[in-house]
This record gives sequence, C-alpha cells and structure tokens, in this order.
Amino acid sequence: MLELANIGVRFGGLQAIDDVSLSVAAGEIVGLVGPNGAGKTTMFNVISGTVRPQSGSLRFDGHDIAPLPAYTRARRGIGRTFQIPQPMHSLTVTENLTVAQRYGTGRVDARALAEILDLVQLTDHASRDAATELSLTELKALEMAKALATKPRILLLDEVLAGLEANGKRTFTQLLADIHRRYGLAILIIEHDIETISTLCPRVAVLNFGRLIADGTPDIVFSQPDVVASYTGMVAHA
Amino acid sequence: MFAQRIGIYVALAIALYVLVPFAFAGNLYLMSMIIASLTIGGIALAWALLGNLGGLVSFGHAAFFGVGSYASALLVMKAGWPIGASLLAGGVCAALAAILMLPALRLRGPYFALAVLAYAHIFRIIATEWKGLTNGAGGIGNIPRFPVVFGYDFASKTGAYWIVLSLVLAFALIYWRIRDSHAGLALRAMHDSEDATRAVGVNSVLLKALMLFLSAFMTGVMGAFNAHYINFLEPDYAFSGLWTMLPIVAAIFGGYRTVLGPLIGAVVVYLADQLVFKALMPIGHQIVLGALLGTIILFAPEGMLSVFAKRPWRPDRTRVTTGLRDA
Amino acid sequence: MTELVSQALWSGILTGSSYALIALGLALIFGTMNVINLAHGELVLLAAYIAYTCESAFGFNPLFAIPAAIVIVCVATTLTYFLVNQIRKDRELNSLLLTYGIGVMLTNGMLLLWKADIRSTKSAWLQDAVVFGPFFSMRSEILFFVISLALIAGLWWWLTRTWAGRAVRAVASNRDAAKLMGIDPHRVELVSFLVAGLLAAFAGAAIFSVGVIQPGLGISLTVKAFIITVLAGMGSVPGVLVGALLLGLTESLTTTFFSSALQELAGMVLFLFVLFVLPNGLFGTRWRRAH
Repeated sequence: MLELANIGVRFGGLQAIDDVSLSVAAGEIVGLVGPNGAGKTTMFNVISGTVRPQSGSLRFDGHDIAPLPAYTRARRGIGRTFQIPQPMHSLTVTENLTVAQRYGTGRVDARALAEILDLVQLTDHASRDAATELSLTELKALEMAKALATKPRILLLDEVLAGLEANGKRTFTQLLADIHRRYGLAILIIEHDIETISTLCPRVAVLNFGRLIADGTPDIVFSQPDVVASYTGMVAHA
Repeated sequence: MFAQRIGIYVALAIALYVLVPFAFAGNLYLMSMIIASLTIGGIALAWALLGNLGGLVSFGHAAFFGVGSYASALLVMKAGWPIGASLLAGGVCAALAAILMLPALRLRGPYFALAVLAYAHIFRIIATEWKGLTNGAGGIGNIPRFPVVFGYDFASKTGAYWIVLSLVLAFALIYWRIRDSHAGLALRAMHDSEDATRAVGVNSVLLKALMLFLSAFMTGVMGAFNAHYINFLEPDYAFSGLWTMLPIVAAIFGGYRTVLGPLIGAVVVYLADQLVFKALMPIGHQIVLGALLGTIILFAPEGMLSVFAKRPWRPDRTRVTTGLRDA
Repeated sequence: MTELVSQALWSGILTGSSYALIALGLALIFGTMNVINLAHGELVLLAAYIAYTCESAFGFNPLFAIPAAIVIVCVATTLTYFLVNQIRKDRELNSLLLTYGIGVMLTNGMLLLWKADIRSTKSAWLQDAVVFGPFFSMRSEILFFVISLALIAGLWWWLTRTWAGRAVRAVASNRDAAKLMGIDPHRVELVSFLVAGLLAAFAGAAIFSVGVIQPGLGISLTVKAFIITVLAGMGSVPGVLVGALLLGLTESLTTTFFSSALQELAGMVLFLFVLFVLPNGLFGTRWRRAH
C-alpha cells in the first residue's frame, strides 16, 4: 500500500535520509526504530508531506503522491501524530475531532466521532479546551483521536509512548492493538521501547544515520550486531 | 425560546430601519454622520474578519476601499452598468486586487500588514497617474446617485442609510455564519497550529486566501457604496489612510473578536470623533483616536464591549458538535 | 545622457544617506525587541518640525536645533519603549497596533501645533548650490551626507568596539544566550530606542533642511524605512546601508527619467519585488517566511 523507494533527504550539508526503501502493506504493523537523530521523524515528514525528498519515489495505493501537498495526503488516508502533541489551540476536544473529521473525510459523522472519543477514553473530556485543560496522557490520546478521525488507512505514530510510565505504556499499547483490530488500518510506529515494539510489531525496520540497516521480524532484527551496536555504541563481540 | 429570539430581532430591525430615520431624518448632518459611521463599520467588520478568521492584520484596507470605489463608479459611468450590480462588481474588483496580494500570505504578521500598506500606496498612485482611466488627480465628479425605486428616492439620506445598513447587516450575517461553521473552527485552529490542521486535511492556504478575498470584497462594496453616495472621487480621498485608520480604531475599540463589536465601535468612535472631539479641536482632533487605540491595546485588548459584557466570547459550541451546519 | 544618469546617481546617494539613518534606527529596535515601531517616521518628522521652529521662531540655523531635537525625540522614544513594554500578550502584533496608534497621535499632534502647511527651510546658506566635481547639489545635502556618514561610522564603531554595542548585537542575535551572559535585555532595548531616537533627530533635521515637510510625511518615512529593512534582510548594518542606497537611487533615477510623482511608486514596487523574489532580503537570514 505504501511504498518508499530510494528516498534521499538532505538538509544543507546533512544527509538525513540516505537511499531508504520501505514498504508497508495494508493492515500491517511495522515498527521503526533507531537512535536519536537517525531520521525517523524525517521519514514521517516525507510520508506525510511536510518535507520534500530530493530523490526517490513515494507511492500510496499505486499512485505517486510525491507532488501532493500534505493536506491532500491526509485526505487520501495518511494519518499521523506528532512527537510533541499538537492540539488545535483554542478549540475543545470535540472541535478538534470535528475539524479533523470534516476535512479529513469530507463529512461529519457524529456517531463515528463518539466512537473514537470512547475508544481513546476522552468522552468525559469532550468539551475541555484542548490546549490548556488536558494532561499529557490525554493530549496524546487526542493526537491519536485526531488522526483516527480522518479515517486513515495508514497511521504514522511518532513516539506516542514517550514520557509515559509503565502503566500508561501498557494502556496505550492495548489501545493500539484495539485500534488495529477495530479499523484494520496499517500502523507505522516510531518507538524507543524495544519491548513494546517486539510485542506489538510483527515487523521492525531500523534506521541509523539515515540508512536502513535492518528490516524483518523483531527476533532477527534485534539480534543483528550492527543494530545492537547502533543502540549501544559498542561492537558486539563474536 | 425561539420565539423570544425572533421577537428581539424584529424589535431591533424596527428600531434600526424605522425609528432611527424617523427620529433623525430631519437632521441631515447627523444622518450623514450615521451613514459615514456605518460605512466605516462595514470596513471595520471586514478588517476584523480578516484578523480573526484569517489571522491576518492589515494596515492597508484603504486599497480595497479605493479599488471598489473606482471600479463601481467607472462601470456605471463608462460601461453603463446599473448601480446595484456595480456595487457587487466593486467588491469583486477589490477581491481581484487581493489576488495580487496572494504571495504576501506567506509572510509573517508584520510583513503582511505592511505589504498591504504598500499595495494601498501603489493603487493610489496608479489611480493618480492613469489619467485616461480615472481622470487622475482631478477626480471623477457627478458619479450617478442611487436610483428611485418604487417611487422612493434612495439617494436621500434615509435611502442611503437603508442601503448601507442592509449591506452592513448582511456582512455581519455572513461573518457570523462562517465563524460558527466548521470552516470557522478550522480557521481558528490554523492560527497557532497550522501544521496540525494540515495533517488532518485542512488546506490552510486556501482558507486564508478565501478570507482575504471576502474581506476585500466587503471593503470594496463599502467603497462602491460611498462613491455613489458622495458622488465624487479622487485618489487621495478614495485611498486615504483614514479608511484604514478609522476602521482599525473602531474594531479594536468595539472588540474585534466579536461580530458586532466593530460595528458598534465604528458608530460610537466616529460619532464621538465628529460630534465631540472635532468640536473641541477643529484641527488634529483625531489625536484622541490614536490615544484611544493605544489605551485599549494596553488595558483592554479585547475591546470595550468585552469589558462591559464581562463575558469572554465563546462561539455557540453545541451547534458545531452536532454538525448541524457545514461550510 | 550620462550626465543625467550620474547626477541622478549622485543625488540618490545623498538622499540614501538620510534614509539610512532612519532605517538604521528602525532596524535596531526590531533587532533587539522584535518590534516594528510604526511611529518611527513620525519621530523623524517631529525632529524636522523642531528644526523648523528653531529657525522660524528663533532664527537659528536648523543645525543648531539638533541638540533640542535629540532631547525631545529621545524622550518620545523612551515613552514609546515604556508603553510597548506594557504589552503582555501577542507582542508582535499588538505592538504594531500600539505604535500605529502612537503614530496617529504624533501626526495629529504635529497637525495641531504646526498646521497642515508645507514648510521648508528659509536658510539661503543651506539652499546654496554647491558644485562637487561634475555634480550639483544643495549645500544642505552635502552637509548632511557628511554628517550621516560620520554617524554611520560612529554607529559601526559603537556596535563593534564598545561593550554596550556588543550587548546590543548579542541580544539581537540570541536573546536567551545574552541573558545567560548577564546582559539585561531591557537595558539593551532601551538603549536601542535611544540610539534610534538620536539617529532620527539628525535625520529629521536633514529632511527639513533638504526638502519640504508636512504632517502626512511621517507615515511615508516609516514605510520607506521599512522597505529598506526588507531590502536589507535583518541584522546587518551594511545591508541597511545598501538598501538605503538602493532606495535613494531608485527614487532619483525614477524622478530623472519618469516623473517625481512616480518616485514613491518605484520605491513600493522595489519593495514588493524584493519581498516576493528575494524574501530574505539581500543579506538576511531565513526568518521572514511564516513557515
């Protein structure tokens, strides 16, 4: 469904993404890991349309989406969350979702909206001001809800677990599984917590310094020496 | 109660359309002031709409006013258009002029504000120099007045008052509907969170551009109205900085976050300026307006109406959540 | 033909020097405080009117009005700074509106005090034509050109060699880092307002001695200064100088080959051209775009 081929991104003198090819099939859950600065968020920015790659091709559903602006990609089914939650300021939770639904799908479906609120457990907070009256967990739930409201076929999750304690992480991981089961969408998730990734994702891709150094099942990927070295900085001894 | 609301609106309509002319029609000077204040009010409303919904502050709305004035006058005088259509055409021409400003939308706040000011200067100079079209600094005189319709002379003070009042109320209605629609939500969200809105499918550039066109259209229509009411135009008048300054003071004074604030502010500020300050200080009386603007920005940035209402503006949230309306 | 062009270039350089003084003041304030002072042109005009009063009421040469102008304009800028500082929210836009309001007050104040008539200097000494090589100009133009150069050089020296000047540059480039180094940004902001006032006072005397003034001139001076800062890109004194020069040359060339009525238009078109084609100005860094 989503196919990146030979994507290259340069920022001035820095090669942020170096010849990366990655595909995600419909309904697949893929983890994207790598040390800080490896280019993971940049990958998301390329897919969602915030950053233009200098080389490579980007296809979604067989169509070339490279010339499309970000808002069109959102309408086509590419949903994303931001690492630092970005609620729409001065709007309530419900209004946030209404805008997302109205512009992401073209119509407003109150029932679907209520379902999403229920799923992320924000029903009680529906009329709270999104920017000022929510806790971190609730903000992250809203990020997820906003993306879901656009009826995405692939969901790009950027470190949704960051900053959460063990309990919160478990809740969210369960939520992700629920969402996958309920909507059958593909998920591409950036995370640092290897345990969560291994449990949740049947497939993991590893980025290091902008290059894809591994792509396979968690067991295999996380025992690869270069993957271990990228995280620990040490070379594994044979 | 729905009936109660209708009742209030009807009462207001009667007060505005019937009682005001009845009370003041004899005093031509006062009626002129009221008409002028409503013209300013229309521009103030358009300015506030651009600021609130579009998130863009402009210091050059006189550009749209002047373009609308000249467009309407010329269409009637040189192309034989009827006045009603020319009013709308004046607005459309102002919106077309706004198309020239589209590249400026990429600029940060102050830069956009001053870029529009540059456009205002440019249009004024074009109007002065393009003598073949606009008769240059000599101006255009004898611009056709409003016609007699069903035996009533709309060029009279009361007639002109009804026209400008209707225009302004129509604009207020449009503003109000947009503000409470889904587009209004998206627009408000765009101010602080443009990336977040784009990520959910909002074409923010298009929405901003539409607000610019709408604001330009409304201001252009006001300019067109004024041309046929005053019956005379010249570049320094049509593009005068006063058509920028007075609406800004009016909108800020009345509360630019509300729909009616700019209108009420315009009437209050303009009447006070012309009837009180001018009497005390024949020259330089607008110094009070500058002081007023400064004072409000410092002490009540939400405007005087919000101080009296003691209630922060909140849109009618229940309607939007049930998705009753769309835009 | 070449004589016309070279004379136009010469005049443009002379005019540009006064513009540079005005633009430098605006740029300083913007650099340290991120505030565009829309009343700046009015302050220059105020200085011009003070020079007029000294000449018409006391018979002094406008040059001698400069000390008085400096004092009065600096008091005005200090008041402006104080008021701008009171803004709590949305400073970038609210300061625009506030200084716009102050500008309206100043314009009308000047209208009140000095009426709408056009004024210019009566000093024959200043208006005398001076020949400099193949170029004609008024003595006042040459005089203020030299003064402007001296001021610009002084400003350059002050910004690069003194601690106060370095503090200004520090705050302009990275406010938080400057704070961490013990620099008080409020002091620096006030200083930038004062220096801007100083430059404006000289510019005002120049404008009065060289041309005509009337209350409506203020806003057009502010716009011109703003155009120059846009041409320059932010944070560079040489950029402002080049920008001022460019504007002066554009205006004088337009006057020579088209008409003086179009010279303001030429400036505006130059402004829009740079705004859209070279959004970072000639020397600036990428900051003018909204995203």
